[in-house]
Amino acid sequence: MAKPFAALAIPLFLLSVVSLLSLRCGAFSADRPTDRRLLVLVDDLAIRSSHSLYFSTLQSRGYDLDFKLADDPSLALSQYGQYLYDGLLLFSPSVQRFGGSLDLAGILDFVDAGHDLILAADSSASDLIREISTECGVDFDEAISFQDPAALVIDHTSYAVSETEGDHTLIASDIFIESTTILGDEKIEAPVLFRGIGHSLNAANSLVLKVLSASPAAYSANPATKLSSPPSLTGSAISLVSIVQARNNARVLITGSLDMFSNRFLKSGVQKAGSSIKTQSPLLFSFGTALVLRSEKSGNQQFLTEISKWVFHERGHLKEGECMAQVFLSMNFLVKEYSVEIYEWSGSSWKPYVVDDVQVQFYMMSPYVLKTLSTDKKGLYSTSFKVPDVYGVFQFKVEYERLGYTSLSLSKQIPVRPFRHNEYERFITTAFPYYGASFSTMAAFFIFTVVYLYNK
Amino acid sequence: MAKSSSSDAQALIRSLRSAYAATPTKLKIIDLYVVYAITTAVIQIVYMGIVGSFPFNSFLSGILSCVGTAVLAVCLRIQVNKENKEFKDLSPERAFADFVLCNLVLHLVIMNFLG
Repeated sequence: MAKPFAALAIPLFLLSVVSLLSLRCGAFSADRPTDRRLLVLVDDLAIRSSHSLYFSTLQSRGYDLDFKLADDPSLALSQYGQYLYDGLLLFSPSVQRFGGSLDLAGILDFVDAGHDLILAADSSASDLIREISTECGVDFDEAISFQDPAALVIDHTSYAVSETEGDHTLIASDIFIESTTILGDEKIEAPVLFRGIGHSLNAANSLVLKVLSASPAAYSANPATKLSSPPSLTGSAISLVSIVQARNNARVLITGSLDMFSNRFLKSGVQKAGSSIKTQSPLLFSFGTALVLRSEKSGNQQFLTEISKWVFHERGHLKEGECMAQVFLSMNFLVKEYSVEIYEWSGSSWKPYVVDDVQVQFYMMSPYVLKTLSTDKKGLYSTSFKVPDVYGVFQFKVEYERLGYTSLSLSKQIPVRPFRHNEYERFITTAFPYYGASFSTMAAFFIFTVVYLYNK
Repeated sequence: MAKSSSSDAQALIRSLRSAYAATPTKLKIIDLYVVYAITTAVIQIVYMGIVGSFPFNSFLSGILSCVGTAVLAVCLRIQVNKENKEFKDLSPERAFADFVLCNLVLHLVIMNFLG
């Protein structure tokens, strides 16, 4: 009877309990998982102004950006054992060696500590940048880096029509991943402009995802030279923008085009080759040419805003709240009840996370019971079931992994043992005939003595 | 052959019945009590066969109360029966007192073991 009452009271006590129950460590406190301080490493401070639109969208959402040259000798990610930044933006594709105390191992430790990373390369990508992305699971076109460093992604069918460049290296792609967590609720209508190198993902790696892929007609080659052999990276295997959600919930975004973030691309219109000129009102001129191209605005701004929200944990971050497992006896069977609360971070507060596919396992070396938790639409999931007839130490395990969301891995240990002698019911219903027989024998004995003694 | 064996059986039963009718009333009361106790025990065994022996202690105490009191009643019958030579010196009152005492102890144990 008290249980529904308790379930309503739990969210009120949540904030005080949250700090005790937080399982995640890392850049952010468990209370506010969105990153705060970001370090932006650039090759040359002109990027600060040529990509100012993107940086100002970040700053307007409350991030503190710290711009530094990639070979600045005062570069340091951590000091006295604590990280100074919550996230890192590597907009320095051609850096050979980082300045200060930063190096490949330092950056990988940063990500291993649960922090986020955005890495943008381009055709001048150095070995260091390629190595960082390989460690994250993304392989930039390796063959080209040795033979022909000027290779770009070329697509003769979905390039963006442009007045200045006719070599089809400026491509417009709209093959997005299907996920509202990663890309936001609104569909990105316009294609995204991209100019740079492509990369491929290892199919066996389940943590890396292609967010923006090239069309099946794309390939990676140097536009200035003639191809002597078929290109190694072709078609939909080319990923233009990829994300990695690591097992410690660090998020990494890797892309081969630094220009994708630039003001030029964010503001320009895009007209995909082969599509007709739209007659809606022209938004902006493109490429500073005298000709007006009537076209829709590129989807770069919306795409980058939404995916930055995802990378910096404004969206898709889950947390568990009160978790309760209880045993009680009902009708001579042991019944277990399990309930857990799951919250999702909405950028500013924890909201209840409502879905209907969270499952719990009752597990000892292998799951004995697997049940889908029923939800009360307010983030509280619960179920109850009869305990299997096996003694031992069990765990309630919730392993929840969904595209774009942090993975939840909860477990609560609970032993199942035989009853102690005073834990049985007081009067066992199946034993009533025996009780009855004993008492009837006693009564019969009493009657017998009376009859025997007073019989003539 | 069959006719003679069935008539033999009938003659046997008749003679048993007439001999039994001659026993004193007191012994017949004891016999009735014993039959009741054994019947109760048999019912309990059948029930256990159907349902299973889950509260085994309750089952044992139920069976023991019936069987124990039946055994004590049989002892009483032996001691009280005037035709038994060896218990000639034992007064029936003493036998009955023993019976009552033992039954009290038995039922005390049963109540404890019943659970």
